[in-house]
Amino acid sequence: MVELDHAFRTGKPADYNLEAVTDLERVIPCVEGGSVLERTGDDEAKAEIKVRMGAMSMTFRGTVTVVEKDTDRALLRVKSRDTGGSGYANADVTFTLEDGGGNVHTAAQISGKAASMGEGVVQSVLDALIKDFTTKLASI
Amino acid sequence: MRLGPDNARLTVRTGKGGAAAKAGHNLVLEVTRWSATLGGDAAELTADARSLRVRSGSGGLSPLGDEEKAGIAQTIDEEVLKGTAIAFRSTSVSRAGDTVEVSGELELAGRRRPLAFTLHDRDGVPEGSARIKQTDWGMKPYSALFGTLKVADEVEVAIEPRSDTHG
Repeated sequence: MVELDHAFRTGKPADYNLEAVTDLERVIPCVEGGSVLERTGDDEAKAEIKVRMGAMSMTFRGTVTVVEKDTDRALLRVKSRDTGGSGYANADVTFTLEDGGGNVHTAAQISGKAASMGEGVVQSVLDALIKDFTTKLASI
Repeated sequence: MRLGPDNARLTVRTGKGGAAAKAGHNLVLEVTRWSATLGGDAAELTADARSLRVRSGSGGLSPLGDEEKAGIAQTIDEEVLKGTAIAFRSTSVSRAGDTVEVSGELELAGRRRPLAFTLHDRDGVPEGSARIKQTDWGMKPYSALFGTLKVADEVEVAIEPRSDTHG
């Protein structure tokens, strides 16, 4: 399990931030390589993320579900499988929201080819991916 | 002496770095269109920046397939060398036995910088290598995975007789 915390700024009120991070069609594309494949419910979507490693790439496909949505907190659950192997990438992404921005706590479990790089490497790549994500949240 | 892909092999070897270096490959790229002359007191080389092809890749999470090799060549064209001129012209060449010391200027990615290297005569064809630090020519080494996987700044450019290779 890899756990990471990142702050983000939107400059918008807390209720706007809550609606933005729980709107799957807006929040999923903020992840580099992420896209919604199909909306399967108000709080659930089929999605994929394509992670480019130069010429090579890995695609994880699965579901993203809004599990909790309170006034200042939201939890998104990601369950996905590596389309080119037997690995998976699951994560609970918890947003703590306030006026102006908030915090993202990510608890991820990754197996298969990606995990074979070692937990330290996975942590570095995830950290960089989420930093990029929080940068994009600034203009959500 | 005239040199080119018919009688010699010009290769570029790249390394990798960054936190996710394990995900990348060490590459051997062959320059497939180039020509050079090596005389008693002068040496020149020109190479087509769009002619680099991946010959092998070691390391990485999985072996490089033909599709990935073609993708790397395309990335070099579009994001690294961008088809810019590659030309070397000597300012001095000195010989001692079968050793040739060459100094001159290399034009790469739109910038000219001094470069020196040593060649050895192998049955009439030179063999040797030069180390090139990309940032010295104003190039930004290619990176992926949000900067956690990078091509090493220094690459090795080598020339060797074609008869010694399988290529």
